[in-house]
Amino acid sequence: MKPPVFDYRAPVSVEETQQALAEYQADGKLLAGGQSLVPMLNMRLARPAVLIDINRVTELAFVRADDGGLTIGALTRQQALLEHPTVQERWPLLAEATRHIGHRTIRNRGTVGGSLAHADPAAELPAVMLALDAVVTVSSTRGERQIPARDFVVDYLTTALEPTELLRSVWVPALPPRTGWAFQEVSRRHGDFALVAVAALVTLDAAGVCTDARLVLTGVGPTPVPVDLRQTLIGAAPSPAAVAAAAEAAQAAVDPPSDVHAPAEYRRHLARVLARRALTTAIERAGGTE
Amino acid sequence: MAEPATTRPKWIGQSMKRVEDPRFLRGKGRYIDDIRLPNMAVAAILRSPHAHARIVRIDTSAAERLPGVYAVVTGQDVRARMAPLPTFAVGPIYQDLLAVEKVRHVGEAVAAVVAENRYIAEDACELIEVEYEPLPPVVDPFAAMEPGAPLVHEALGSNVAYQRTFTFGDFDRDFNEADHIVRAKLRWPRSSGMPMETNGAIGDYDEGTGILTIYANSMNFTYFQWLIATSLKIPASKLRVVPINAGGSFGSKFFMHKVPTLAGFLSMVAGRPVKFVEDRIDHILNNDHCGSDRYYDVALAVDRDGTMRALQIKVVDDYGAYLQFGTGTHGNALAQVVGPYRIPSVQYELTAVLTNKNQQGAYRGFGSEVNNWVLERMVDFAARELGLDPVAIRRKNFIRPEQFPYRTPTGNIYDSGNYEGVLDKALALAEYDRWVAERERARQEGRYLGIGIVTAQERSVFSSTEFWFWFDQPGFPVTSSPESATVTIDPTGKFIVTLHSLAFWGNSPETVATQVVAEQFDIDPADVVVTYAASQRALPGTGPGGSRFTVMVTGALVGASGRLKEKIKKIAAHRLEVSPEDLEFHQGSVRVKGSPERALTLSEIALSAYMFKLDLPEDVESGLEASYTFDHPYTTLPSPDRKDLGVFYPFMGHACHIAVVEVDPETGQFTWHKYAAVADAGTVVNPMTLDGHLTGGTAQGLGTALYEEYVYDDRGQMLTASFMDYLVPTAMEVPRIDIDHQETPSPYTPYGIKGAGEGGRMMAPGVITAALEDALAPLGVRITELPITPAKLVRWIAEAKARGQAPTA
Ligand SMILES: Cc1cc2nc3c(=O)[nH]c(=O)nc-3n(C[C@H](O)[C@H](O)[C@H](O)COP(=O)(O)OP(=O)(O)OC[C@H]3O[C@@H](n4cnc5c(N)ncnc54)[C@H](O)[C@@H]3O)c2cc1C
Repeated sequence: MKPPVFDYRAPVSVEETQQALAEYQADGKLLAGGQSLVPMLNMRLARPAVLIDINRVTELAFVRADDGGLTIGALTRQQALLEHPTVQERWPLLAEATRHIGHRTIRNRGTVGGSLAHADPAAELPAVMLALDAVVTVSSTRGERQIPARDFVVDYLTTALEPTELLRSVWVPALPPRTGWAFQEVSRRHGDFALVAVAALVTLDAAGVCTDARLVLTGVGPTPVPVDLRQTLIGAAPSPAAVAAAAEAAQAAVDPPSDVHAPAEYRRHLARVLARRALTTAIERAGGTE
Repeated sequence: MAEPATTRPKWIGQSMKRVEDPRFLRGKGRYIDDIRLPNMAVAAILRSPHAHARIVRIDTSAAERLPGVYAVVTGQDVRARMAPLPTFAVGPIYQDLLAVEKVRHVGEAVAAVVAENRYIAEDACELIEVEYEPLPPVVDPFAAMEPGAPLVHEALGSNVAYQRTFTFGDFDRDFNEADHIVRAKLRWPRSSGMPMETNGAIGDYDEGTGILTIYANSMNFTYFQWLIATSLKIPASKLRVVPINAGGSFGSKFFMHKVPTLAGFLSMVAGRPVKFVEDRIDHILNNDHCGSDRYYDVALAVDRDGTMRALQIKVVDDYGAYLQFGTGTHGNALAQVVGPYRIPSVQYELTAVLTNKNQQGAYRGFGSEVNNWVLERMVDFAARELGLDPVAIRRKNFIRPEQFPYRTPTGNIYDSGNYEGVLDKALALAEYDRWVAERERARQEGRYLGIGIVTAQERSVFSSTEFWFWFDQPGFPVTSSPESATVTIDPTGKFIVTLHSLAFWGNSPETVATQVVAEQFDIDPADVVVTYAASQRALPGTGPGGSRFTVMVTGALVGASGRLKEKIKKIAAHRLEVSPEDLEFHQGSVRVKGSPERALTLSEIALSAYMFKLDLPEDVESGLEASYTFDHPYTTLPSPDRKDLGVFYPFMGHACHIAVVEVDPETGQFTWHKYAAVADAGTVVNPMTLDGHLTGGTAQGLGTALYEEYVYDDRGQMLTASFMDYLVPTAMEVPRIDIDHQETPSPYTPYGIKGAGEGGRMMAPGVITAALEDALAPLGVRITELPITPAKLVRWIAEAKARGQAPTA
C-alpha cells in the first residue's frame, strides 16, 4: 500500500496553482485534505505524474456570509465549516450534514472543495449543495466560470471540472423565511459513508401552504438524486398523505446499487423511510403541523 | 512445586496499574516496525488475483532490473530450498511459503521482492509477469462436496478433508425418549482477529555462524520454532527467534509462522537483514487466522418441562484452502459442547471442507465461541417453543455446585462452578426485572425493546490433545503444553522475571508476573523487572492461547519462586543460625518467625549469594536464580474408541451477559439500553485488567455478530479486503459495559485461578442475537445467522410479517 512515483509541487497562490494545472494538464492532480486522494494513491488506483498540493494556498480557506448568502472557500476544512457560528445559525442543514462526514480527525483535514471535486456517490456535501441550490466557482488560466450544483456532479466520481480547473469556492444562497430543514442518514457504523442519506428543505407561506420543497438523496446511485416534489408537496398545506406520496416518489426516483454493506432493496426501502422522516421534520421546523 | 501461601493474598486480587502502560502509552513501546537493523532491506509480496489458477510462467526479469531491488523469489526458489510449512492436517494438504504450481485463493503469496524500501518493492511487484491458467474455483462448501467439483488439493482426491461422527453417552436413548426436538439451521460466517498491528518480522542471517535470527511479533516461538527451522531446512539450534512486542493478537499471532519464515528465508537469499510487515490488505487476504466458517444443523432434545436430554450437532466447516490446525477448533468446542447444562449425551458430526479461500486459524474463542452461540440459540428456541421463560429454562438445567468436578459427556472435566450465583448477580446488575417491566410498557406503545441473556462457558488452559483426538492414528499425538518462568534476584536484591514463549501481545503479562512474584516474596512490585527470553535460551513453553497465560505462568512463577525461596532460606538460616522452617518472608526481608528483629534484607542475602561464597552453606551455589517448567496440571488421554476424549480443557470459567436494546424496525438500526456482564474466572488476579479483557472481548464479539465478515463472491474474489469494507466496531458502536465478578476457585490451579482471556467474545454474539430477536419477538423474527445487519433485520421483519399474514394451512 505505497504509491507509485510522483512529482510534487506546492504552489502558494491561486495563480500559481492554475499555472501548474495548465502545465501538467491531465497528468497533474490537486491534493487538498488528502482524505480521499491519498488512499487512492496508496492503493495505486490513482497514478498522477504530479501532485499539486494546495494546502499552502491559504486564500482558498475562508467562510464569508452576507444577506445574500454564504461563500465557502474550497480549502475550508469540513470541521471548520460545521463549527462556524453563522453556518450553524443560518444554514443548519449544511452544518448537520457535514457532521456526518467521517470522524472529526478526517474532517479536520478534509476540505469542502475536495469533497465536492471528488464527488463520492455517498458523500453528503454534493447532495446538500444540490438541495441548497448552491453555485460552484471554478477557474483556470483561461478564466473563471460558475457551475450550478445541479450541473456539477455528472457521473460516478466525475464532475464538470476540467483537468486544468481549480474549484475556488461554493456559494450558497440565503434561505427564505419559514424554511424548515432536516438531514437523515443511515450508515453501518458511526462515521461511515452513508448507505442512504436524505437532505430536505421545506418552505411554507404565512398560511402554511408549501411554496417550495427540496429533497435530495445520496448513496443511491452514481450521483445525488433530487426528487421532484411539485406533484406531491408543493402548492398545498402539507399532509401526512402528501408526505407519504413524496416519500414514494423518492423511492421511485432511485436505482441504488448493491454492495457488501447493503443490497439495493434495503437502500430503496431506506430512501422512502428517510425521505418521510426528513420531510416530516422539515415541515415541523418550518412551522407547519403536517 | 511449592504450595501457594495460605494467608490472604496481598497482591493477587488487586487492581494494580499495568506495569506495561507507562512505556506503551507514551509511544515508547517498540514494535516490529520501529526496529531498523544496519543494512536492512524491506520486502513486499505479489499476491494471486485468482481464487484458483495454475501458474504457467513467472517472469521476474523486469523486476530484478529495477534499481533498488536486491532479490526476487518465487515458488520455484521456495521449492528448491525449503520444506512445506507446518500443519496439523492429516493427508496430503501441503502449503508452501510461496505458491508452487498453483494458487488456491485470492491473496495467496506468489512472489516476494526484497528492495531498498517498500515503495520500490511494490513497484517491482508490478513488474513481475505471471501467466495464470485460471481453474474453476470452489467457493461454496456444499458445492465443493459434490462429485466432480474442482479439487483444491488434487492429491487428496476430495475436498472433504475430514468427516466423522462422534457419539458421547447413550445418545439414541436420550434423543428418542425426549418429549420434543428443537431444530435449527444456523450459520456462523468467517471473521478474523484484526489487531491494529499486522504481522511482521525481520530476518537476519549471519553467514559467518550460520545462525538465523528472526525478530517477530509472533506469540509462539518455543513450542513451534523447530517447525520454522524445519521449513527453512536449518538446524533448530541455529534459529533464534526474538519476541517483539505485538500490537494485538486475539489469537491471530498465536501460530504466526509464515511471516517470520518468509523474513528468515528472504534474509538467507538476499544476504542482509530483511523486514517484512504486512499491510492491511496483505493481512486480510492472507493472514493465518481467520475464524470459523460454519453451517450447522442442530437438534436439542428436551422434555416438556424444559429438561435437556440430548444434543445433536452436524456441522460443515469451510476451512478454506489449507488446514493449519487440523480440526482443532472443533476439539475446542467439544471441551464445553454442553455448556453449563446437564445434557447427558451428545452426537457431533464434523465435515471439514476445503475451498478456494484463505485458511482458518486461531481467533479468540478458537471455535468455542461458535458453539456457545449455537447452544444459547438452541436454548432460546427451546424456551420459546415450550413456552418457558429463558431464565427459568437455564436455571433448571444448570450443573449444580455440588456436582463438581463434573464429567461432561465428551470426557472433559469441569473443575468448579456456581452458575446460579453468576446468574443472580447478573440479573441484579442488569436490573433485569425493571427491564422486563419496561419491555412490556414499550410493547404497549408499539416500541421494540428486547432483552437477551446468555449463560455460557469459558474453558481455559488448553492441552494439546484437542488437535489430534480426531484421528485413530494421529500423526503427532503431542501431550505436552507447558509454560516456564525464571526468577532472578540480582546482587542488589532486585527481581528480574524472564518469561519464555510469552511475548507481550497487548495485554498484561508483565503485570501478572509482577503481582505473582510480589505475592510470593512479599516485596514491592516496583522492584520487579520482566523480560522475555529469545528462543535459543528459552525453556519449554506453549504460548498465550486458549486463555492459558495467567494460570500457566502463575504456576511456573510459583514453582520458580518456591525453588528460589528455599535457597534464600538456606542462606539466611545459615547466617542467622536458625533452621529454615523458622523463617518467613516479610516486606523485602527474611525474618525469624516470632522474633522479627532477627532479619536479613533480600539485598543482604543477594549480595552474599553473589559475592561472599564463604558466607554461604557449603552446598549452596553462588547466584540467585531459579526456573520452573509448569506442565498442564490436568490432562488425560482420550480413550482408543474416542467415546471419551479425556480431560483437555478443565478449568471452566462461566459468564452471564445480559443486553437490552431497542430496534427501529423501519431502518433496522438499534440503540443500546444496557449491557451487563458477570464472569466467574476463579480467583481474579487483577480485576482492572480482567475488566479490560472482558470489555475488549465483548467489543470483538459484537463485531462478529453485527459488523465483521469476510465476504467472497461466487468467483472467490474477496470483497472485504480493507477497512472500507471489513467493518470493525469502534468506540462509538460499543455500549458501556457494567461488569461484576464471582470467584469460584479452581481446585487444580495455583491460587484457584482460571483463564479469562476470551470471555467477552465467547458471550457477546449470543447475547446481542438474543436481545435483537427478543425485541422483534412480537413480529415473529427468528435469528439464525450472523452478522446481523440492519438490511437483514429489515428483510427478516418483512418476511415475518408476510408469514404472519399468510393463511395458515
Ligand atoms: C475513514 C474516512 C471516512 C470518510 N467518510 C466520509 C463520509 O462519511 N462522507 C464523505 O463525504 N466523505 C467521507 N470521507 C472522505 C472525506 O470527506 C474527504 O475529505 C473528501 O472526500 C475529499 O476531500 P479532501 O480535501 O480530503 O480531498 P483530497 O482527498 O485531497 O482530494 C480528493 C479529490 O478532489 C480533488 N480536489 C481537491 N480539492 C480540489 C479543488 N480545490 N479543486 C479541484 N479539485 C480538487 C483532488 O484532486 C482529488 O481528485 C471519508 C474519508 C475517510 C478517510
